[in-house]
Amino acid sequence: MHGIRQFYIMMRLTALEAIRQPVCLMLTISCVTATAAVPLLLMHNFGEGGKLARDGGLAFHLLFGLFVGVHAAASALSREIRSGTASVILSKPVSRDTFFLAKFAGVSMVIVAFSLVAVMSTMLATRTAETFVIKGDFIGYAMDWRTGLLLVLAAPAACGVAAVANYFRRKPFSSGAFAALMVFISLIFVYAVCFDRHGSFTPLDTDIQWRILPAGVLTTMALVILAAFAVAISARLGSLPTLTICAAILVVGLTADYLLTGGTLSGWSAGLLRAIIPDWQHFWMADALNSDGHVPLTYVGSAVLYAASYTGAILCLGLLSFRHTEMK
Amino acid sequence: MTETSNHPAVEILNLRKVFRDFWQRPTVTALNGITMDVKEGEVFGLLGPNGSGKSTTIKILLGLLHPSSGTVKILGREPTDVAAKKEIGYLPEESYLYQYLTPAETLDFYARLFGIDRHTRGERSKQLLEMVGLSHAAHRPVGGFSKGMSRRIGIAQALINDPRLVFLDEPTPGLDPIGCRQVKDLIRTLAGRGKTIVLSSHLLADVEDVCDRIAILYNGEIRAHGRVRELLETSEHLSLTIPVLPPDRLAAVLKSLRALLGSEPEVGRPSMNLEQFFLKVVEEAHQRTPEPSGTGRTEGVAQYLSSHD
Repeated sequence: MHGIRQFYIMMRLTALEAIRQPVCLMLTISCVTATAAVPLLLMHNFGEGGKLARDGGLAFHLLFGLFVGVHAAASALSREIRSGTASVILSKPVSRDTFFLAKFAGVSMVIVAFSLVAVMSTMLATRTAETFVIKGDFIGYAMDWRTGLLLVLAAPAACGVAAVANYFRRKPFSSGAFAALMVFISLIFVYAVCFDRHGSFTPLDTDIQWRILPAGVLTTMALVILAAFAVAISARLGSLPTLTICAAILVVGLTADYLLTGGTLSGWSAGLLRAIIPDWQHFWMADALNSDGHVPLTYVGSAVLYAASYTGAILCLGLLSFRHTEMK
Repeated sequence: MTETSNHPAVEILNLRKVFRDFWQRPTVTALNGITMDVKEGEVFGLLGPNGSGKSTTIKILLGLLHPSSGTVKILGREPTDVAAKKEIGYLPEESYLYQYLTPAETLDFYARLFGIDRHTRGERSKQLLEMVGLSHAAHRPVGGFSKGMSRRIGIAQALINDPRLVFLDEPTPGLDPIGCRQVKDLIRTLAGRGKTIVLSSHLLADVEDVCDRIAILYNGEIRAHGRVRELLETSEHLSLTIPVLPPDRLAAVLKSLRALLGSEPEVGRPSMNLEQFFLKVVEEAHQRTPEPSGTGRTEGVAQYLSSHD
């Protein structure tokens, strides 16, 4: 029971330390702003504004999420080993296994929080995008400026609230802004769910594309696998090598489907590589959402199972490595 | 000198540690077959120049580094035994702290790792922050602290569990003279309660003031080992302190001594040392300045650390 409590305490601290770092806030704000900017800045989209906003949102989710996850993982383990905070914790009655797994869980918490913001932003940006509307006398393409404007203003407003809290109550700025951003995006999302693009109260009957949600869940799963890689690698290597290796794993995993199924490699070696290399195509659903496509829940379930097995295997290897890691 | 028992709190037998590079090739032999023990209730000093193996020894004792060969036991258990660490406090060489946590959050976090209940956590944190003079900065992130202030938080975290065995790796560098004196008082108080303390330092005066026994390490080997007084005592000279005398009477005393000894005795006026003088000046300044910008007024040793069970 005490072990579980220790796990929870360290997981919470890992998440808190990660979101108190300015880089985490900067990456989250960049993701939201970039996602919000796509539908607003597109000049010629040939009625494909929604698709571009959706694809852009998912891509930003994956890209910025990679940096958030790897940075949080490297701070959580590599930097702690190098700076010595890991030594202090492991001089307390804390097992290495609990410490390692708590670090991963804390990083995963940050990824989930980031992904919540990213997925809601993508759904809001998709609704903002120009779409064909027939409403009263109006027939033609229109943009949801109200939602778009709220989404763009969410980050500056969150920073403003955090700055006030920092000035008057000495609350940490970065974590305050991150929390405020989550709250603001959630409120805008609730507004978008309840009101249509013309401001009429039509709960759950608005232009929110709920089919983006499973795609967002799968992107989050891909980020969790990458975080497991990052935590396992950072038990031995520094931040920069961890980021480089994780980026390489992402690239190799994205091309794995082409290399291993397309016939470049075949036989038992292809089978072995298919089992070892993470196939990110399982988690990249942007193409599946084209032409009103949906991601079946059974597919989401099996992909989550794949992610859980893969993550478990990487964490086992990471644990074995960390048990023999010498502390500074 | 403190009362010690015959039970060893720390046992080291033929300990060897070789650091290796990425390819597992040996790079440095940090410890070369050291053997020693620390009795329960003893204040033990590990001395030696930089790179002599003091911190490596402590880290092996805490299970943070793996020995290449030899056996090590703390409180009768293996260093990797997590349960043994419930009774251990550790102040690392540098104050390793989470930069974005405040001192209050830091102490609360470490206390929770020991499973200390909320009420005790709060009480101990408060007493420790008062002890190290940082009550006024309890809610400021430690990332902005000076080295000395960080060191004080490091000392506080090492004592949050009221440990039976304390490892202090270079506790005084970065501390002002008040902090140094306070660490020495703390060591004496803990030793008075029967706690075992292993102190690593290259500030010889600090070690001499508080340690019962010492070991001097050089190049990974123990070069001297034993009781401080026995190691430092010289049998050739004796010092004699007398009250200040008028010049004529002093001359008469010296004349008698010269006649008796057959040599010239050394005469000097004992003076306050710089540490004592500094403490006196700062104590007076504290009384005039109630709100300092750095470390505040310290409150002696935390009550729970000084009260006998």
